[in-house]
Amino acid sequence: MAEEMTFLAVAYLGMLIAIGLWTWTVFSRSNDLEQRIEAVEQSMQTNHSNEE
Amino acid sequence: MTKRIAETILLYGFIGIGTTLGLAFLAAPSVSINAFESPNAQRIFYWHVPAAWAAFIAFGFLFVGSAMWFFKRSNAGWRMHVAGAEAGLATGLMTVWSGMVWGAAEWGVPWDWTDVRLNTFGLLTFLALFLVLGRQSQPDGVETRDTFSSFGLFGFVLVPVTYVATRLWQIRHPGPVIGGGEEGSLNSEMGLILLVGAISFTLFIIGHMLMSMRITSLEQRLESIQEAMDKV
Repeated sequence: MAEEMTFLAVAYLGMLIAIGLWTWTVFSRSNDLEQRIEAVEQSMQTNHSNEE
Repeated sequence: MTKRIAETILLYGFIGIGTTLGLAFLAAPSVSINAFESPNAQRIFYWHVPAAWAAFIAFGFLFVGSAMWFFKRSNAGWRMHVAGAEAGLATGLMTVWSGMVWGAAEWGVPWDWTDVRLNTFGLLTFLALFLVLGRQSQPDGVETRDTFSSFGLFGFVLVPVTYVATRLWQIRHPGPVIGGGEEGSLNSEMGLILLVGAISFTLFIIGHMLMSMRITSLEQRLESIQEAMDKV
């Protein structure tokens, strides 16, 4: 009985960690893209003002 | 603003899932030791059923998005297709994994190749895997989107087949616990924990799909900025 509960606890923890990791990758992809867009837009603005 | 809404929904969903698992582990009533080979493994049901529910929401989202792209050429539809495929893959894997854990404990084998429910759901998960990997390996364009959308449209046939599978051909997977007539009765405590799980997984997957739609939108924006820079 105790062995079954340990097995279940490990399965639950594994699943929670897995969805936590998935969520973390989604947030980091979103942040990474935002930063890249911001950097590209800033560089475009700098180029534009240098040309003027 | 949308980002904050998506993050908030996702966070509530995640907390709810943690709470569901805590309740399933500590507060859910035990089942008869005569009815199950491995009575405690039955507690995985509080993860498995809500995850399958969330998978059906994701596949519904995929179907609607595919139809919107295929028939209306809607960019929002394509973002829904991408979000639905990613969420369908994740929730499909959660369902398959938890089912295999239970099957290994209860049946002695994690999978039964003769069971219709298991195989149609497995195929749905493979469909989502194909759509996610396929999109990443192909350049974005109308033809690519049309191909993957048609798979999203026709693949949805597996959803109603999966739903009715245990009603028509009960081989190994247990019959319906909700909406299955008198045989499918749950006691109120079990029903309550299952409801908390279903609401939590629904919030979690909606939050994820909103985030995923936002990521696709950002990818498209970055691509168009880079194209504009290349032209200069």
